[in-house]
Amino acid sequence: MRKPISPLPTIGYLWSVLGTVTGSLLLSPLRNLVELSNIALLYVLSIVVVAVTYGRGPAVLGALLSSLCYAYFFVPPHFSLAITEAQNLLAAVIMLIVALLVSHLASHLKQHADYAHQKSVESTNLYELSQALAGAMTPASVITLASQFFAESLQARQVRVFLPNEFDTATDPINPALLAQCIERRQLLSRPLGSGSFYAVMPLTAASGVQGVLGLELEAYALSSAEAVETIETVASVVAVAMERSFFAAKARETEIKHAAESLRSSILSALSHDLRTPLTALVGMAETVALGKAPAERQKSMLEAIRNQALSISQQMTNLLDMAKLSAGKFELNTDWQPIEEVIGASLQQVKSHWPERDIRVALEPNLPPLNIDAVLIERVLWNLIENAIKYSPDASPIDIAVKRSEGHNDIDVCDRGPGIDPDRQEQLFELFQRGKAESGVPGVGLGLSIAKTIVEAHGGKISVSNRDAGGCCFRIQLPVGNPPVFLEANDPS
Amino acid sequence: MSEVETILIVEDEQQIREAVAMALECEGFQVCQAGTASHATVQAAARKHQLVILDLGLPDRDGVEFIRDYRAWSSTPILILSARSEERSKVEALDAGADDYLTKPFGIAELLARVRALLRRRQFNTSEPQATLQFGDYSIDCVNRVVTRCGEAIHLSQIEYRLLAFLAANPGRVLTHRHLLAQVWGGQAVENPQYLRVYVGHLRQKIEDNPAQPRHILTEIGVGYRFQP
Repeated sequence: MRKPISPLPTIGYLWSVLGTVTGSLLLSPLRNLVELSNIALLYVLSIVVVAVTYGRGPAVLGALLSSLCYAYFFVPPHFSLAITEAQNLLAAVIMLIVALLVSHLASHLKQHADYAHQKSVESTNLYELSQALAGAMTPASVITLASQFFAESLQARQVRVFLPNEFDTATDPINPALLAQCIERRQLLSRPLGSGSFYAVMPLTAASGVQGVLGLELEAYALSSAEAVETIETVASVVAVAMERSFFAAKARETEIKHAAESLRSSILSALSHDLRTPLTALVGMAETVALGKAPAERQKSMLEAIRNQALSISQQMTNLLDMAKLSAGKFELNTDWQPIEEVIGASLQQVKSHWPERDIRVALEPNLPPLNIDAVLIERVLWNLIENAIKYSPDASPIDIAVKRSEGHNDIDVCDRGPGIDPDRQEQLFELFQRGKAESGVPGVGLGLSIAKTIVEAHGGKISVSNRDAGGCCFRIQLPVGNPPVFLEANDPS
Repeated sequence: MSEVETILIVEDEQQIREAVAMALECEGFQVCQAGTASHATVQAAARKHQLVILDLGLPDRDGVEFIRDYRAWSSTPILILSARSEERSKVEALDAGADDYLTKPFGIAELLARVRALLRRRQFNTSEPQATLQFGDYSIDCVNRVVTRCGEAIHLSQIEYRLLAFLAANPGRVLTHRHLLAQVWGGQAVENPQYLRVYVGHLRQKIEDNPAQPRHILTEIGVGYRFQP
């Protein structure tokens, strides 16, 4: 990238004048010891140095000044510009010509070297940019990277990319007409902003068409030469290709998500049709039988009881479905608070007891458990799902064991039953949506409870797993991170 | 009870409204029904009810606002019906002055139990404050601030005592975290429910036989506590 105009030339001229004059003054007392031709060579040498360091202008000035100083200080008559001998005049003239030639060549070389250096810096920058762009997965990150690049290398301000859908609404400092013109001409257009800067717009064109328009505010020097504009165009084309790729990538991801949603929808449909329609059919049948009024009173009562239970179970499954829809839509927010896990377990048991008052549930809590930063409503949901599963899938007379222990950085909550256990091959899948321990089971359910539990536990930074017990049955374990509970002051509470 | 108690049901879903009305009528209550908040306001002004059953998801008005306005002029108990997704508005409604809540789907038996408890409490509230509160084997002497179990004194700190006394004075009623914090600690503590949880934990250790499965101080997850004598 072109550098802003540096203060270098002024310093170059200054050094050239100062160096020549002081050098001449310092050397002048020695004029009788050093031969005149060597002094001329010394001048030429100094001009080479100036030419290499500061370029042509200062070198030419130095050459002119040198020949004057040479004539004034060294060529007899001393301290006069007059040159009496033809020999000396010739030497002075040759010195001037050599100095001019050398300064020209040296500065030319320097310019080339500078140009090469600048080009290599530019290509390094461009390389780094394209590498960074290769890692950018979304159009937004491509735009961010491009903006950073222009801001750093060109001191550009207000860098932004106008996407095709913003073309008609673009306002100050540009307008839709300017954008249309820019796209039509496929080239960089700029308009002055006052205070010496310009606002430039540049179409980002890739194989599949215009990806957007780059707009940026630049100082005049950044647009001063054809090369500078070409550099901007090169960068713009790299950015355009990256944008195009990221658009395609985003589209591919979207398709993938759509596909996943599609397969989810079909599994929901099959779950609904099988697991909800079957009990609903039974429900309607029983209700009609009762309505006919032909069954004996005792039988009617038990049928009404069955209708109630069936409806409750459907309602429970609807709740699960709705919860899962809410959780998987990512719309839930953890409403966390530090609370003792005992309290959440107590509340879950309170509910379980109201549904299954006869069931033997044993609780073993380690003393002095630390409080956890959890959303109690959701964790209670997890516990309820696990306990409900344990009760549903194990013999009525067998006990359910709930245990809470501390482990490294976690609280482990185990819910264990004496049911048939879980096939080790299926233990992983069990937590996925619509997966059940057995595909066709007499126990009602659609296979949502565990994936709800998993989603909630993972949202808390925890883990859920299942293992089989030695003496039969299985154990679900929730691990919740302990964290740093706030220090609780009980000072203001005299007993 | 000399007169028949009337109950106002405010619920926009006709099926639920009628199911609830039928169940209450079978129990001998007189029932008024309203499908919208504005209709409910008219009904409430027209005659006195002993209980209001209110669905939070009304079509024309926020249920919480309705409670605030209603509480400005009436102390009739309010029982809220709420959907599971309305966790937050349920707490808001209780803070606004509702007395109890039921989450849909609820059983009729549970509904009737809550209704009876609220009506009973209304009578209890109108009587004189009692100097001694009794529950289980316990007795709280509110004058001397002493709690005894089968005649034996139990050592409680001041805050523990205040918390227990307040809970026991409101048996069966769901008390939100905010409400308890404001009553026991004072206004500045209402945003620190962990204070409350720690003290409830202490209290359970001292008065419950099995603190993990409490009999008296029950947790209403995400809402508060309910004291069961």
